[in-house]
Amino acid sequence: MNWRDTLKEEIRHLTIARRLRIRFDQNKCAGVWQCYEACPIGCWTPDLEARKAIFRDEGRCIACGACVLQCPQGAIELTT
Amino acid sequence: MATVFMKWLETTPGDYDRGIQLLTLGRLTPLKELIATNYVQPGHRVLEIGCGTGTLALMMAEQGAAVVGMDASPLMLAEAQRKADKAGLAQAIEFYEMDVSELADRFSPASFDLIVSTLAFSEFPPELQRYALAEARRLLRPGGRLLIADEIIPDRVGARLLFYAVRLPLVVITWLLTRTTTQALSHFPTALVEADFTPHVIASYLGGSLQLIEARPAVESEAIPLKAETGIKTCCLPCAAESAMATIVGETPLPALPPAPSPEAIPQLHHQVTPRTLLLDLISLLNRFVPPYPKIATGLYRVGNPNRTSPVLVTGNYDLTVRRVVRELDGRVDCWLVVANSRGINVWCAAGGGHFTADNIISAIKTSGVDHLVDHHALILPQLCANGVDGWRIRKLTQWGVHWGPVRARDLPAYLAAGRVKTDAMRWVTFPLRDRLEMTITSSMFFGVLLAIPLAILWPHLLGLTLGAMFVQALVFGLLLPWIPGHDGLVKGVFLTAATVLAVILWGQLAGDWPLIKYINRSLGLGFLAYFVAGEFQGTSPLMRGEANWDVQFGVGLLTLLVYGASQLFLGM
Repeated sequence: MNWRDTLKEEIRHLTIARRLRIRFDQNKCAGVWQCYEACPIGCWTPDLEARKAIFRDEGRCIACGACVLQCPQGAIELTT
Repeated sequence: MATVFMKWLETTPGDYDRGIQLLTLGRLTPLKELIATNYVQPGHRVLEIGCGTGTLALMMAEQGAAVVGMDASPLMLAEAQRKADKAGLAQAIEFYEMDVSELADRFSPASFDLIVSTLAFSEFPPELQRYALAEARRLLRPGGRLLIADEIIPDRVGARLLFYAVRLPLVVITWLLTRTTTQALSHFPTALVEADFTPHVIASYLGGSLQLIEARPAVESEAIPLKAETGIKTCCLPCAAESAMATIVGETPLPALPPAPSPEAIPQLHHQVTPRTLLLDLISLLNRFVPPYPKIATGLYRVGNPNRTSPVLVTGNYDLTVRRVVRELDGRVDCWLVVANSRGINVWCAAGGGHFTADNIISAIKTSGVDHLVDHHALILPQLCANGVDGWRIRKLTQWGVHWGPVRARDLPAYLAAGRVKTDAMRWVTFPLRDRLEMTITSSMFFGVLLAIPLAILWPHLLGLTLGAMFVQALVFGLLLPWIPGHDGLVKGVFLTAATVLAVILWGQLAGDWPLIKYINRSLGLGFLAYFVAGEFQGTSPLMRGEANWDVQFGVGLLTLLVYGASQLFLGM
């Protein structure tokens, strides 16, 4: 890696945190509620009809990644 | 949280390599080359404990060895695999994501010619070091060697002083640049002898603090002694499996640690306030950022008088964390407390930074013997470690059920009394005034000291003003945080900066005799300070995204300098 790539990489790292978004695929969700259990902010809201938790409150999400890690179905992604 | 993002930024492996290079002043690479060229022969089966990003594994594979690299960090291993693929050595190296406590489950006795480990043992708590050494002894073939390169605290007093003198500045610089650090080994040669090895120091750098130790099994001629009757042949079988892995299937591995500890033998933790705990509280308040962090020994503890049906709680080994948990539980709940290795960091930051993982907890469960003390398999984990501890990995590898407990230790008694039922209030993080003030003091102390050193040397007359202003800014920001507009420190910082500039103008008006240049200098200097304080506060606020503001802060700093230079040029002459 030359210095240009190194610099680009550093800037990518620095800016990525501000751009991270949760992408939730409701069709993959098996309703185990681990995202709801793990989220420390309360971004997930119960959808009692579907018996699933739904991702809401994007503005409050701190992109900690807890829901992503605890989802056994891979239904939640943290993407930029 | 300061390190919450590292996992998702995938900076850990890169930062780690940079940090290690700095901490060892670049001496590690020659040590690794020494191992690869002097000890590795074609056809050797080599196990690397804690292979990290695979630098040494690659060197050894180049020498013709079949290498098994194990590490508990999937990120490090992904980087290692990438390097191996790139070098065309993927056939010669197998990487395994596993904890050291799984050594007995994975490999047959006497299956390796060489076991190497660089800077991994210093990451293990003492009981895991002993376990790993005993396992290494068992896994080595007769004539085999254990090679350990690590940071070692010298035993002699003079050498130890030199060690700290060299190491302390390196630790601070490395931590600032990479937010990682390591803990050097103490009394290591003794541990090697106790594990039935004969150690020799092969190379020694940096005043003896970085050493390469070659350890030979003490009784070379005899068969490898087994500590228990397990039915495994002890002679040096030519490893039947082609793969260097030779995973044992259907054979009982050696018991890792004494199987059934009596409950009375488990240390009991009490909530108590002593001069020592007050001092530790003060240290934690003034310094929460710079290691070494006060920590307690990992392992199993009793709180109250637990029995076979009592709940099993897990936490990290940061001293403050454990004491706060015990303060809330002692006298209210009888339970077992498993203290897992979080490198002395609180559970949220440690989990976010990849320092507190499912494997740390699995390791603590396996080595603590808690299995034999309770009749259930329900593990209660702090909810805030869910960003780094894979609950499904624990469920899969231990048969223990994982329950996410409340965010705050304070809610544990109510949570347990309700039969592990959590209200939303127990689930959600808040940042109340008390915590905000705690963070104000903690962060102003850290950045205060950082600022004070260059100021005291270069501009001592600005020392009081700058530090005072920074504390007031942090205090105002901490007090008013929820009401300052914006979702992150960078936006909120604009308001703090504006308030600071207004205060400077008001101050100048009250003083009455300020020239324009003084208004500009003070506004620029203190205004930038405000922006920096706000940006950094984001890292300590649990309700905002982890700190990643250095680019903007740096940009604003450069802009400030430019304006300062221009104003000096046009107005200052």
